Amino acid sequence: MLQSKVFSKRTRGGKVQKTVREVYLRDDLPCGAPFCKVCDTSKARLSPSASSPILIVDTNVVLSQIDLLENPAMDNVVVLSVVRDEVKNRNIAVFKRIETLCYNSTRNFFVFYNTLHKDTFVHDVSGESPNDRNDRAIRVATQWYQNHLGGQTRVLLITNDRENKRKATEEGISAETIESYVKSLGQPNLLDLLVKPVSEDVEMEDADALRPSKRKVLYAEHKPMSEITSGLRCKIYHQGKLRVNRYNPFEAYVGSESIGDEIIIYGRTNMNRAFDGDVVAVELLPQDQWREEKFLSIADEGEEEEEEDVHLAPNSADDALRNTNPPNSADDKNSVPCRPAGCVIGIIKRNWHSYSGSLEPLPMPAASGSIAHALFVPKDRKISKIRIQTRQLENLLDQIIVVAVDSWDRQSRYPSGHYVRKIGEIGDRNVENQAVLMENDICDEPFSRQILNCLPPLPWSVSAEDLANPIRMDLRHLLVFSVDPPGCKDIDDALHCTTLPNGNFEVGVHIADVTNFVHPGTPLDDEASQRGTSVYLVERRIDMLPKPLTEDICSLRADVERLAFSVIWEMTPQAEIISTRYTKSIIKSCAALSYVEAQARMDDSRLVDPLTTDLRDMNTLAKIMRQRRIERGALTLASAEVKFQIDTETHDPLDIGMYQIREANQMVEEFMLAANVSVAEKILKHFPLCSLLRRHPTPTKEMLEPLLRTAAAIGLNLDVTSSKALADSLDRAVGDDPYFNKLIRILATRCMTQAVYFCSGDLSPPEFHHYGLASPLYTHFTSPIRRYADVIVHRLLAASLEINKLPQIFQDRTQLTSIAENLNYRHRNAQMASRASVELHTLIYFRKRPTDEEARIVKIRSNGFIVFVPKYGIEGPVYLTPRGEKGDGEWFVDEQQQQVKKMDGSVSYSVLQSVKIHMEVVEPQPNRPKLELSLI
Amino acid sequence: MVGLSVGEKRFIQGGIAQDLRSDGRKRLTYRPIYVETGVIPQANGSARVKMGATDVIACVKAELGRPSPLQPDKGKVAIFVDCSPTAEPTFEGRGAEELSAELSVALQRCLLGGRSGAGAGIDLSSLVITEGKVCWDLYIDGLVVSSDGNLLDALGAAIMAALSNTGIPRVLVAASASPDEEPEVDISDEEYLQFDTSGVPVIVTLTKVGRHYIVDATSEEESQMSSAVSISINRQGHICGLTKRGGAGLDPSIIVDMISVAKHVSEQLMNKLDSEISAAEADEDEL
Amino acid sequence: MEFVNPEGLRLDGRRAMEMRQLRAQIGAVSKADGSAVFEMGNTKVIAAVYGPREVQNRSQQMSDQALVRCEYSMANFSTGDRMRKPKGDRRSTELSLVIRQTMEACILTHLMPHSQIDIFVQVLQADGGTRSACINAATLALADAGIPMRDLVTSCSAGYLNNTSLLDLNYVEDSAGGPDVTVGILPTLDKVTLLQMDAKLPMDIFENVMQLAIEGCKAVANYIREVLQENTKQLEVRRGV
Repeated sequence: MLQSKVFSKRTRGGKVQKTVREVYLRDDLPCGAPFCKVCDTSKARLSPSASSPILIVDTNVVLSQIDLLENPAMDNVVVLSVVRDEVKNRNIAVFKRIETLCYNSTRNFFVFYNTLHKDTFVHDVSGESPNDRNDRAIRVATQWYQNHLGGQTRVLLITNDRENKRKATEEGISAETIESYVKSLGQPNLLDLLVKPVSEDVEMEDADALRPSKRKVLYAEHKPMSEITSGLRCKIYHQGKLRVNRYNPFEAYVGSESIGDEIIIYGRTNMNRAFDGDVVAVELLPQDQWREEKFLSIADEGEEEEEEDVHLAPNSADDALRNTNPPNSADDKNSVPCRPAGCVIGIIKRNWHSYSGSLEPLPMPAASGSIAHALFVPKDRKISKIRIQTRQLENLLDQIIVVAVDSWDRQSRYPSGHYVRKIGEIGDRNVENQAVLMENDICDEPFSRQILNCLPPLPWSVSAEDLANPIRMDLRHLLVFSVDPPGCKDIDDALHCTTLPNGNFEVGVHIADVTNFVHPGTPLDDEASQRGTSVYLVERRIDMLPKPLTEDICSLRADVERLAFSVIWEMTPQAEIISTRYTKSIIKSCAALSYVEAQARMDDSRLVDPLTTDLRDMNTLAKIMRQRRIERGALTLASAEVKFQIDTETHDPLDIGMYQIREANQMVEEFMLAANVSVAEKILKHFPLCSLLRRHPTPTKEMLEPLLRTAAAIGLNLDVTSSKALADSLDRAVGDDPYFNKLIRILATRCMTQAVYFCSGDLSPPEFHHYGLASPLYTHFTSPIRRYADVIVHRLLAASLEINKLPQIFQDRTQLTSIAENLNYRHRNAQMASRASVELHTLIYFRKRPTDEEARIVKIRSNGFIVFVPKYGIEGPVYLTPRGEKGDGEWFVDEQQQQVKKMDGSVSYSVLQSVKIHMEVVEPQPNRPKLELSLI
Repeated sequence: MVGLSVGEKRFIQGGIAQDLRSDGRKRLTYRPIYVETGVIPQANGSARVKMGATDVIACVKAELGRPSPLQPDKGKVAIFVDCSPTAEPTFEGRGAEELSAELSVALQRCLLGGRSGAGAGIDLSSLVITEGKVCWDLYIDGLVVSSDGNLLDALGAAIMAALSNTGIPRVLVAASASPDEEPEVDISDEEYLQFDTSGVPVIVTLTKVGRHYIVDATSEEESQMSSAVSISINRQGHICGLTKRGGAGLDPSIIVDMISVAKHVSEQLMNKLDSEISAAEADEDEL
Repeated sequence: MEFVNPEGLRLDGRRAMEMRQLRAQIGAVSKADGSAVFEMGNTKVIAAVYGPREVQNRSQQMSDQALVRCEYSMANFSTGDRMRKPKGDRRSTELSLVIRQTMEACILTHLMPHSQIDIFVQVLQADGGTRSACINAATLALADAGIPMRDLVTSCSAGYLNNTSLLDLNYVEDSAGGPDVTVGILPTLDKVTLLQMDAKLPMDIFENVMQLAIEGCKAVANYIREVLQENTKQLEVRRGV
């Protein structure tokens, strides 16, 4: 047994409590240099050649220059534990990146635990700030390296802290700023990656000289943190996460718990340099300033107008985060009380990261090689433009690049950032896709060797052991089939239905037994858990699991034996469930039908083969179940899903159209819902605290507000007191117009938030409710190939059947909660990516096909309206006045009737009205195509 | 409890009468005093004092509190004494409650002055951070680990040593926006203010056995006492507090005499403690 | 929270299998028949033994063996937060019982009928592992008092955090909420006399953690033996043997 060699104590004054921690200093920590003659070199990670200097980086360098450090040109770096800890406390995202670097075997980054080494531990000196102490610790460690390696190689301290550098030089340590080090490498392009120091730190005159206007103060100062905390406490300020309106970057919302409402922030000045996702402190404006801007876009201090794009019609409230005007838009004084407006007075936590986008075309490109200033326009419209400096402007102009934000001072309209890397040429589909993936934090890297090693060897088939396994029921004799979209390769569900002698039906839902292959704790499982879901882009799929699993081993293809997890009910002909069985099984599907095929079989009365009869029986049952569900109050919502026909060679879209839903779709859906509900009940019964369920929150009155307003305008009375009432009133909403009902349903759908995963221990049972399905319990069980939630649920179900032990992770509720959160995040991102992909293809499609089409007005604005084009599922603005003018009273909005009228009353457009529009792709700026809608 | 035979009692009393006590001391001689500071690192200040076989630990913890509305310009100090059963099996369970309470009260009287706080050995106004709003509350805990008489003096000495060992975090008070609200208090991590102990008195207990009185009585000697007077005296030679214990009455002139003796002894004790404390602090720094 | 960093070092610089610094001193309470201070890192405990002596409460007297009693108490200042708990709260009562049972099992009580042995443990500072420290201190105090014992009893704890088995948890690690396995052994007889755990742990990991704690106990035993031998040497010197 080892005993500590040196013993030392460090005291830290906690709040008021004095705490004492022991520190056992060590003499067995290696320096990490492979050529070191003293230390154990088995774990050495630094460069084996002594010729390149060892770089010891200061905390500020890691925090601000992480993009540079990630560049392979920076190498042979020692990260001291004091730096590592500080980075961890200050910025967890950067910490993760530096950790990745430190354990990347291709890079020579090494963590030296200076705080635990007997020669580099520093004692507290009274009167020294923690910062100074850490700086001193860094210098002591650098000195130690110098002495330890005894001149075998150069040791260089890289710091941007002027004071630290000065002291280091005094103490005989060679120290350089990151700028001078990068310059000494002689790679000018690396300089683009450098984050410019904030003005007060190091010289910045050259940059200022180029921007004389910069002196003007544009933004109010952010209040110091102490003032913010005390202000928050006495409720002068309100804290919340800032969310920028997707359709208007100068309008943002801060959800504040302290006033129980959302505070609207109008305009750049009030937003005061806050980014989407920042946690900010907001002060309310005086009430008379609460109503403002009603235009499609807000011209801010005379600068160029931001415009609204044509985009895919939103499917839920999450997609279209309140893209309507506040209800109080018109001048009528006795309208609904205004929503509070406020301005940002301080930023509590920044949400800065890197963004993809392109540079704004410049009137006069700078000479090659010299420093040029450019404005970067992020793809994400919620993000402000970012000012960057580059020495390779001409190479970047037609590229999609990645830029990180560094700072935003009061004198600049835009934040400053630096170039990180380029993705590729604008307009190139792969590049654009790449940008979409990056924007949504989706990993599309191929699976690593380690992960692939977890797969069973191919070709795989059901083994004798599987057959002999008593937990596995042999269901190969059953007539099992699957119904999926055409061309589906990852078939994760199959069905069967047989008539029992007593006249009842036995209906089985068989789900691919993914957990038989994906075991907890393996690299494969970790990766799947990270990815969370497969992502479906228009022309490509990014799998959650490696292809051999998704398309072969797990896929319930026709005529092969596959392992499944089955839910089998006995149902009366009235579709009442008499009993439910859950079992692992072996099945052999007899047919993999497409929806169209299944529908055709059912419709063809000449066919009486067993498969078709089963299909018809199931369809009958499904209809009853569906009816019953609707009676319970399930909403039949509608969304405008579109489908592309893609040219197999060019991958260009050939045609788009709405996705057609058939009875066969509904039939499969019905049984999947039933299976999910049955499984949810089962797992919750066994694991009331650690089940993964899915809930759909009841929409608040406020969320349904836009729907109600629209409905009221056209004289439709919707009852939203419960989902049942809403469902009924939606059913009643039939007009002369055949599309009317669908349109109302589409509008209703987009008022709802999305359903989310959660851990059952985190909420109380009434909150488990799934509003849309009107089900008290719901989970996801039926698609384990493409959703990780289903994998978890499979494990829970197996554990409840005592087939497997419950993996350890389920005992840790915080971890389970974070998994659920990650799944929600991934799920949401996957949807955003799909939508972005569809938008991209829509643009490509219309590029060569200017089209006239019928559209519906869904929203009224003072200088135009927003239309929805059902055929293509897109939505966008139509302007009545030429852009750039504010309409000057030519048009006015009638809030009550939801109409925009010409002043003289000659023309008016009202909501839900049908209009003819022209759609065409225009390129107002080179390389920046966009779809424009205009009234015919 | 000490069980003594008649012979033993005689021996003790006789020895005291002849100024040669059973352990060889004179009447006004202390047993060897040994001081160790910083014994409880988690506390703001701590010390262990041994006088012969008597062994006590004193510990100071500082917490932020609110001054009492009657004395908005003063911090608060509370003294608690606990007697561990390790010192004496009879202290087991609630066996030491009475003694603990007696010692606590006696110490409060000797160190904290009257209810108004006037004449306190510990400067209470130095503990105020914002008048009427925030102050330091000092909790002084004494623990008797081993008892062989003269607990009060040993505890007094230990508290003095602990206070001189005490560092209180430096506090920064943010200017508060309105007078009603709680001020923002920021505790500095690395800066500690040394507590001023120049006014802290020592306690000298004179135990009357027969016609004479002795200092630093062992428990055997205490079992023979008729009464005892504990006097706390500060550096200036002023009396800060006084407690008389034991049933027998004392002639007022003897009390006056005792006080002047105590004053004389206190100077020696104070010097002895000062040198022990500084030696102990030097030892601690070396660790 | 990262309790074990990628280099395998814990927050206080120890590796997973390392114990905190042990320190012991015999004879801390001069009036007791036997006493000892035992420190495991910042955890510091005093134990005093009185006896064997006359049984104080006649009704408890046993004609075939000695009566062993134990009281555990914590000083007000022993924890980070100053506490003012009444004596005899549940935790103290439970700990008193655990210590008594553990010690009783190794004292040769049948050699001392009609007598009583009191063990008092006083925690001066708590920084995780007080249970173990109390038992170790009590062993030393009993040995100091010259009370006949079958074997020494030594104790140590181990836990499981960040998928690593950790020996001798300190307060920070202990309050992370992971499992904490306290083991007491008779090192020469190689028997486990105390085993407590307060969280869920899979069987295979439990075995591993328990084994680690047993190793810890053995290390403590070696240390205690050294201390006792050193003490005996000094006694010899003082007696001029």
